[in-house]
Amino acid sequence: MNPRRSLATRSGGLLVLSVLIGLLLLLAISMRVFGITASMSLDEMRGAIQAAPDYGAILLVNALIGVSMMLMIYELRWDALRVILTVAVALVFGYLMTAFFNLDAANRLSSGEFRVNVVSDVGPLVDIYYGDRPSGEFTGPDADEPLTEASYRFAGSAGDVLTIMAFAEEEDSPLDLQLTLLGPDGEAVAENLDASDEQRQEYRRQLESPGDAILENIELPADGVYTIVVRPEPQSEVQVGEFNVRLDTDAPSPIDFTYNQPIGAVFNAPNVDNPLTEASYRFLGRADDRVSVLAYVFRSNIEVDLQVELIGPDGSVLGQANDSTEEQRATFRGLLQRETDAALEGVRLPEDGIYTVRARPEPVGFGTKLSETVKATNKAYNAFLFGPLSRLNRWVTWIKDAITLIMLGLAIAIVFRAEQFSLGAEGQLYFGALVSGVIGLSFGEIPKPVLVPLALLSAATAGFLWGLLPGALKAYLGANELVSTLMLNTIAMRFYEMVLTFELQPPNAGYTASDWIPDNGLLAPIIDVSGDQVTIAVFILILIVLFAWVLIRRTPIGYEIRMIGANIKFANYGGVNTKRTIMLAMAISGAVAGLAGAHLALGIHRKLILNISLGMAFEGVVVALLARNNPLVVPFTGLLYSYLRVGAQFMERDANVSSEVVRIIQAVVILLITAEALVTFVQRRRRVRRDRLSSDIQPSERLMAAPPQPPA
Amino acid sequence: MFDTNLVQNVLEGIFSAAFLASILRVTTPILLPSLGALISDRAGVINIGLEGTMLVSAFTGVVFSAYSLDWFGESTGRLIGPWVGLLMGVVLGVLMALLLAVFHLRFRANIILSGIALNILGSAATVAIMFELTGDRGNTQGNLRSMRMPFIQLPDFLGDIPVVSFFFRIFDNQSVMTWIAFIAVILVWYFLYRMPTGIHLRAVGENPEAAASVGIRVTRIRYLALALSGLLAGLGGVHMSMGYLTFFQRDMTSGRGFIALATPYLGGGHPVGTGLASLVFGFFDALSIRVGSLEIPSQLPQMLPYMATVMALVIYALQSQLAARVRTLRSAEGAGFDAAFWKAIRQLSVLHMFMAMLAVFGIIISIGMFAAPDGFKGPERAYPLATIIGAISLLLIVLNLPFMLKVERIGAHVARAAAVAILSLWVYLGILFDLMLYTTTLKDLALILGFGAGLVAAAAIWLALGGYYLLTGHRRRAPVPA
Repeated sequence: MNPRRSLATRSGGLLVLSVLIGLLLLLAISMRVFGITASMSLDEMRGAIQAAPDYGAILLVNALIGVSMMLMIYELRWDALRVILTVAVALVFGYLMTAFFNLDAANRLSSGEFRVNVVSDVGPLVDIYYGDRPSGEFTGPDADEPLTEASYRFAGSAGDVLTIMAFAEEEDSPLDLQLTLLGPDGEAVAENLDASDEQRQEYRRQLESPGDAILENIELPADGVYTIVVRPEPQSEVQVGEFNVRLDTDAPSPIDFTYNQPIGAVFNAPNVDNPLTEASYRFLGRADDRVSVLAYVFRSNIEVDLQVELIGPDGSVLGQANDSTEEQRATFRGLLQRETDAALEGVRLPEDGIYTVRARPEPVGFGTKLSETVKATNKAYNAFLFGPLSRLNRWVTWIKDAITLIMLGLAIAIVFRAEQFSLGAEGQLYFGALVSGVIGLSFGEIPKPVLVPLALLSAATAGFLWGLLPGALKAYLGANELVSTLMLNTIAMRFYEMVLTFELQPPNAGYTASDWIPDNGLLAPIIDVSGDQVTIAVFILILIVLFAWVLIRRTPIGYEIRMIGANIKFANYGGVNTKRTIMLAMAISGAVAGLAGAHLALGIHRKLILNISLGMAFEGVVVALLARNNPLVVPFTGLLYSYLRVGAQFMERDANVSSEVVRIIQAVVILLITAEALVTFVQRRRRVRRDRLSSDIQPSERLMAAPPQPPA
Repeated sequence: MFDTNLVQNVLEGIFSAAFLASILRVTTPILLPSLGALISDRAGVINIGLEGTMLVSAFTGVVFSAYSLDWFGESTGRLIGPWVGLLMGVVLGVLMALLLAVFHLRFRANIILSGIALNILGSAATVAIMFELTGDRGNTQGNLRSMRMPFIQLPDFLGDIPVVSFFFRIFDNQSVMTWIAFIAVILVWYFLYRMPTGIHLRAVGENPEAAASVGIRVTRIRYLALALSGLLAGLGGVHMSMGYLTFFQRDMTSGRGFIALATPYLGGGHPVGTGLASLVFGFFDALSIRVGSLEIPSQLPQMLPYMATVMALVIYALQSQLAARVRTLRSAEGAGFDAAFWKAIRQLSVLHMFMAMLAVFGIIISIGMFAAPDGFKGPERAYPLATIIGAISLLLIVLNLPFMLKVERIGAHVARAAAVAILSLWVYLGILFDLMLYTTTLKDLALILGFGAGLVAAAAIWLALGGYYLLTGHRRRAPVPA
């Protein structure tokens, strides 16, 4: 194509279009950040903007975001569509992934803690159950609340063998107890005044006083409510004192609860070790008692939808309820709270006997499951896609993160331009952070205008040198740069850790981190949202972008880098000093990565911490790839990718979806962007389908066209 | 500087059967993916995605072995669970590698970048799915009842035979995966050097166009190579989570997939060499655990394997350059080519390089001591030692450098080269022997005996590596034109 003509088409409509889209982006972001809606009046809008701290700088940064969009469109032209499309496809993939993780969203309707209660005016029919150990204190007839006789009702079934004990609280107590067991008809079944010596020996841990009583191995004659009566022996001198009662048996209790005593459990997910998806509780009912059976949730964060059944002694279902009405919730205030709780109101029990309440989560239909999944996924994706703009401090988080990421993207774009797959940015970043942090920490008395440039320069130098090393190894020895940089990264990280742990960490510090860097060493903030700061790193970043652009497009060395990237053999024959250029490209990239480290130390964390970067260099690869290794496009792709990264954090916080989803999206982006033949593959598929009869695939096409060889 | 008892304990630990056994143990997860890297390398399709593949396999193994208890019942599940986990882990490993293969071979994606994508995918997907399954983002401990691969017990009577018992203690009670790994070395060797497909594979790696021109299906071979690398990486991954542990931990491979990319270089591109290179890494790995009890920063020994890799890369690169030069010389000189002379030069140049590289270790250790003296018992003890180590290392580098940069000097100035090589070797071997003797009853004589033996051994090694030929045979021939 004629270059002059291409320039003309570029600077015409495309320029206008890109400026327009950039302006739109500026408007859209600013509106969301400042909370402006279209229905506001101009004054209200102005008020909303001026309410934000440092609004001028915020508008400036938003304008820069618009400019980055403009540059992207202007530089990439039709490729811009592919970038957007790739991200969109990856986002759709991420949506499906999130939906997959939310397939169990409907589980919240069928799992959680619940209670069951049988409400009746009658009051509890029993006081204790098998295995209970009540206690009390006889106060004598003259006390304010006299207790001279204690009785406990329990439900027993015929044939159960019980051992009942009544004993004083203290050892060798003078209290002499008398124990009587009354049958369902009120007649005494058994009575005991004092335990025998053998019994006191056998139960010596309980029966420590001579006056203690025991009914050993009593077999119950019939089903019904029995009563244990405990009182001091009438002729005894001592009529006051604390006592304990034990009702021991191996037999299972015939009932689980009684009127007005709530009982409950947790319905859990079906795939745990001990699943509970249905719960049955038995209670003793008397003929003609009016009861209301309730099943309800009492914690506000639990949403299980309950249903309840009442089953009679003969096994017949007496009633069933799925939901509760407004009036019922008013009647049983404090118990029923929501519509999904179940209430079976005013049942008259037909006969004496043991009734069963069965509670279970209402079955969830496929439609509900689907809609719950979609709802949860939408909620998560809403947090993901709009989270970074929802509040001003989140916006600041995004911008801070983006600055680091753009620097790394630029670093990687420079080496990738020369087709050198160096992943050393991580290690260079660590050294940059270490050097700048140490300078900031140790020379706090030097004024800021000297100290900050000094720290930045040293960071760049450290990165440069750490990039020079693998560069030299690659250029002059042909050592595989990928392997060497990966190894050097680990060495740099360990070195950083070692210096941090043994030199910089203040003694007695709870965790591994340096002191705060003194103010003179920090990058000056331009936006401060209650402690979250965007610093002058924004302007440093602009300088770096311009530097990278000039380097690659306007200098001899940049020309050589591009030539090497296009065809290293050709560059060699063309007289390019390929070795020196490769080494320099890797070193310069290292300098930029070192600056990213300095930004982390001096601008974001304001001290040196362990794991200061956590694999950000790999994210830089995505940024550079999306930008086609074009320094002018990197700012936009960096902002875009950082937006997704930060959004994922908010998705994790707000919607409990793992933020790893964004890294999966990242992988998909890399695969789609690098798959050069994917587009042609799809096109060819379509063509093949069209002319299926005239098969146009050449056999030779199926042979490998040799892919770029990794240097040995 | 250090407590002598502590040093002695550590040294005794290092020269024991238990330590050798632990080397085998930690070598296994490096060796298996290294063999995978070797195969893919030899086919000319470097598989960067080993790390992610290992993670996916490790995670799959844990999940399937845990769920097989539910599926097959307690008793059957306990028996076959580990193998179900192994199988599924390996299958997933192969699938990951095939994903890479499809994107590279079908869609022409850059193999390095898609490999990076695969690593990110492996790391992220395992954590995300683990979070969904267990609600934990760190590890599966306590949530998934994973199982362990069985251990292989050798017959007990071997432990009673005097010399055999030492080896018995090394090889007894090793995981079945360790045996698989070392058997895999032989299998990979047989595959690459004795089977037609393997020979085709190497041909494809050497020159794909030439291989295609004689009718080898290049793409198919590369698919196969990547699938095999995925299989081996999958085995390594399963060993990570089920070999000794019974749980998956996020990013638990911690760079072994990347180290595996380097070992074939260190091993000269040969399966047995790769196995030995993996053992070197295993040694450093095991060492860094042992040395932890000495009071030095744990990060320092942790750096060693990575430094070793960089150095191995450099030596490999230098040797490849030298080999290419020798090949050119041979074709140029024809019958007059002195093969034995060049063999000696090459071997001795490796020695010089190795000496210099070890000295780089010393430099880095000394820098570390200067940068973080508090990790080495304070500046007043660390600085003098760091100065000594740094000075000796620098001296050794300066002495060896001329012979590395221009290998002809080894032949031209035999006496000087010999002096440098033997002196350097003497320093290292002397220290090594000294330390070894220190643990024995000869403790008091360790210094004299150690360095004496070191000098003898150094001279012997120099002579064996070609010094003898340079001193005798080489003189009888005409001097080689530079």
